[in-house]
Amino acid sequence: MIKANNIHKRFKLYEKPSDRLREIIFRRPYHHLHNALSDVSFTVASGETLGILGKNGAGKSTLLKILTGVLLPDEGEIQISGKITGLLELGTGFDMELNGLKNIVTNGLLLGMLPDEISDKQESIVTFSELGDFIHEPLRTYSSGMVMRLAFAIAIHADPQCFVVDEALSVGDAHFQQKCMRRIRRFRDRGGSIIFVSHDLNAVKMLCDRAIVLDQGYVVAEGTPEDAVNHYNRIVADLEDRSLTLEENEMETFGTRQAEIVSSQLIGSKSRSNIVSSGETAKISLVVRANENLDHITVGMLIRDRFGQDIFGINSHYLDHSLFLKAGQKATVHFEIQMDLAPGKYTISVALHSEENHIENCYHWCDNALRFEIAGIADSIFAGVCRLHSKLTIEAPNIQSVIKEVG
Amino acid sequence: MNLPLLLSFTRQDLIDRYSGSILGGAWSFIMPLVNMLIFILVFSRIMGARLEALGQEFSEYSYSIYLVTGMLAWNAFANTVQRATNIYREKAGLIGKVKISLISLPFFILLTESVIYLISLIFFAIFLVLIDFPVDQYWLLIPVVFVIQQLFAYALGFMMAILNVFVHDTRELVTVIVQLWFWLTPIVYVTNILPDSVQKLFGFNPMYILVQAYRDLILYHRGPSLDGLFWVLMLGLIILGLALFLFKKLERDIRDFI
Repeated sequence: MIKANNIHKRFKLYEKPSDRLREIIFRRPYHHLHNALSDVSFTVASGETLGILGKNGAGKSTLLKILTGVLLPDEGEIQISGKITGLLELGTGFDMELNGLKNIVTNGLLLGMLPDEISDKQESIVTFSELGDFIHEPLRTYSSGMVMRLAFAIAIHADPQCFVVDEALSVGDAHFQQKCMRRIRRFRDRGGSIIFVSHDLNAVKMLCDRAIVLDQGYVVAEGTPEDAVNHYNRIVADLEDRSLTLEENEMETFGTRQAEIVSSQLIGSKSRSNIVSSGETAKISLVVRANENLDHITVGMLIRDRFGQDIFGINSHYLDHSLFLKAGQKATVHFEIQMDLAPGKYTISVALHSEENHIENCYHWCDNALRFEIAGIADSIFAGVCRLHSKLTIEAPNIQSVIKEVG
Repeated sequence: MNLPLLLSFTRQDLIDRYSGSILGGAWSFIMPLVNMLIFILVFSRIMGARLEALGQEFSEYSYSIYLVTGMLAWNAFANTVQRATNIYREKAGLIGKVKISLISLPFFILLTESVIYLISLIFFAIFLVLIDFPVDQYWLLIPVVFVIQQLFAYALGFMMAILNVFVHDTRELVTVIVQLWFWLTPIVYVTNILPDSVQKLFGFNPMYILVQAYRDLILYHRGPSLDGLFWVLMLGLIILGLALFLFKKLERDIRDFI
């Protein structure tokens, strides 16, 4: 169990470290304060995983360092049952000249293992790291992935009661990552507490039981991962908006401009931001303005994945709507789409044209006008790039027909 | 911090640092031994002869024994203080990542230097036996003097290590002071070549008291001045107390700065 009570941490920022001594001698302040953490409290029960979300500089690293005892809080206290190990210290104290086995010992000792414990677990660490005979070679001959695998293998064998996992989890290839995840789940099932810090919103939703959101050192939200992720998205939305306007210049646009797309927006029905769960309905709103009298405007949009692959396209023509506008008139078009897509990042290109497709009389085409991210799956899980409407029927003896419908 | 970790640091310091080289850990001891040999073989002829000309009574190796006795102790002391001074910045990578006791972290330097001192002392003893110089029960008291000396060195080093986090010049300053201190302590020279008034001042130099104590035990086969050792012990404890007080006040800042 991890319990944090009213943690405060202020960093005194000095121009140079010696100012701290001047302060003691002359008894007047030479610093300005930076509030890294203010009144942070939370509890992680045994077998529970708590996610911590926050922008860069929100206080996440400071909090982790205080939890692992590297930094001391100004106020408040931390109660931890048993040993706490962080994956932040992956590979701490590794000596590139020494072989893998010797580094297991050094690193293990730093993680608080005892020599007997290390020799007991050595074999299992080597097996987990999949280094094979390389374990007898100096670390400098390893690839960076191998070093991280070894580091992770040691950390996970340190048998802490509490585990602090951060971005470091994205170690190695998919196969190794899955192995790590399995191991972490097992650790949790046996009653270990986990604190998980990541920018991978999908992973937070999948792994965590609860999550908190830090912003400028304060806990601004606490609740289900779903709620926390939505709250977090609203915080980053500010930043995103700014970065989007920057990118607008790079956005490829073309067309006759007889009609124009003035603005575009995507909002998830639950998340109220452009990061939505798979299965959630998103509303895409386009404001269209005609620059001359047009009696047949088709409004279209196209979702592409991060590889630029067309995933799904729809337009007003396909949906049997048509739009006619006089010069200077504006209209707002809303598409409501159930985003049954796999987690990942997507872009939307939007277009105005006169007929069924944009090849003839294209008025305005904006490549990648919108960006959104699918994080987490609201409904039942699926594999692949999208969810297809599915229905399952089983006919077997002793089972009266069971029907499960999904989608 | 637990003992196995300290031992592991010491091991890294003495042996692993040279991993990949053929002689490995032997390099930790080669330098002190070469120094000792130089002192014994070269200086016994040159300096010894000079000092005799000045009216000092010396047998062939007396000066060498005088010199090496002081030199081994001094090296252990000076290295401990100098290395401890920089310890927090040297190990900043570890301190910033794992929970580690800052008070006991410098202990491994004490251990390293003690091991080097011990091995040097064994070689020294072998040399003394070879030249038929008596090695007697007074040697058993060497550890007592050494413990007092290293306590003093640790206290100083710990204090300087704290200051070094805030004032980076501390390390350079310590190097200079240690160098001056070396020449203010009769290690290569003997006291009675100096005027009486200056000799009296040596009574306040803890290192003089310690070096003299080793010489009493090894060279003159007699018990050392207990008053002097007691004063060094007290001084060491007072500095240690001050350093601990300062540390308690500043630990949070030290960790923040690193």
